[in-house]
Amino acid sequence: MCDACGCDLKPEHTHDSKVIEVHQSLLAANTAMAVKNREHIEKMGAVAINMISSPGSGKTTLLEKTIEALGDTIRIGVIEGDIETDRDAQRIRAKGVPVIQLTTGGACHLDAAQIHKGLHLLEKEEGGAELDILFIENVGNLVCPATFDLGEHHRLVLVSVPEGPDKPAKYPKAFHSSQVFIITKIDLLPYFDFPVEEAKAEALQLNPNLLVMDLSATSGEGFDQWLDYLRDLCRKRS
Amino acid sequence: MHEMSLVQGLLTQLNELAREHNKEKVISVCMEIGPLSGVVIDSFQFGFDILAKDDVLTRDAQLIIESPPAIYRCFGCGMEVEVVQRPESCPDCSETLFSPQGGDDLILRQVEME
Repeated sequence: MCDACGCDLKPEHTHDSKVIEVHQSLLAANTAMAVKNREHIEKMGAVAINMISSPGSGKTTLLEKTIEALGDTIRIGVIEGDIETDRDAQRIRAKGVPVIQLTTGGACHLDAAQIHKGLHLLEKEEGGAELDILFIENVGNLVCPATFDLGEHHRLVLVSVPEGPDKPAKYPKAFHSSQVFIITKIDLLPYFDFPVEEAKAEALQLNPNLLVMDLSATSGEGFDQWLDYLRDLCRKRS
Repeated sequence: MHEMSLVQGLLTQLNELAREHNKEKVISVCMEIGPLSGVVIDSFQFGFDILAKDDVLTRDAQLIIESPPAIYRCFGCGMEVEVVQRPESCPDCSETLFSPQGGDDLILRQVEME
């Protein structure tokens, strides 16, 4: 170890140099922006939910059905994140709520700076300036989005029955950092080997504070618990 | 592979630090990457090796990564275990539920420049 600065560098290491103690998170800039986003979202009157899952686990369908069920009583807005296309935004727009599409152009996650832009764009949409719930549908990816605070109040991780029950064990960060875990597409349980209780227990082992639900947006099974959770969120928001 | 964008953020920060301290070359960068940070250390190193070469400031920089263990608090008795991987069960009360404390840091600790 080098005597001058305590680092692990080799002996040829010179000391005409200067050691700068930084001790700052690499995510500091993102986190600072996320804090601003949270304030912005609260000024809009909303509570924000960041939805994280693999591609195809049913995030957009869950949103469509949620808007159908609650759209008359709760003001919902959506920020869609995808690598390419505005197909998800089109699906949500068809349900009559304000929505904007962020395309990351290849990046595997949304970050707080993108959401900052997204919030300003959403406010320009009809009904987008005052909301009760803002859903942020992240890029389909169970890995990278988990590292980036977007300014959400709750983080939701979804796993669909066809994906298999081992996702919590394989992708722990998404489960550590979330408040809610939803198993989707439970209408397909007869066709897949997906022990629901085992998957729930495994997720709770990673994060004992998780609220766990299982539902099918298609059959409606388990949907009431989800809607109650959202209504409750709206009531509790400051 | 979000490690690439994190490395880009690091390089931006190194450029700012060099300007601030009037330095021209980064000799070493010391990072702390926690086991629960969601960052793969090999990928971060790979990203650094590639991206640092593109900039005169960082071309010869050495990246040092330290990964301290995480602390897991037992949900049953509150005992804290400091380990790299999540324990199967509590050594004291056999509880299998743990809540991780920290271990998710991604910190630029120290930079040496000349």
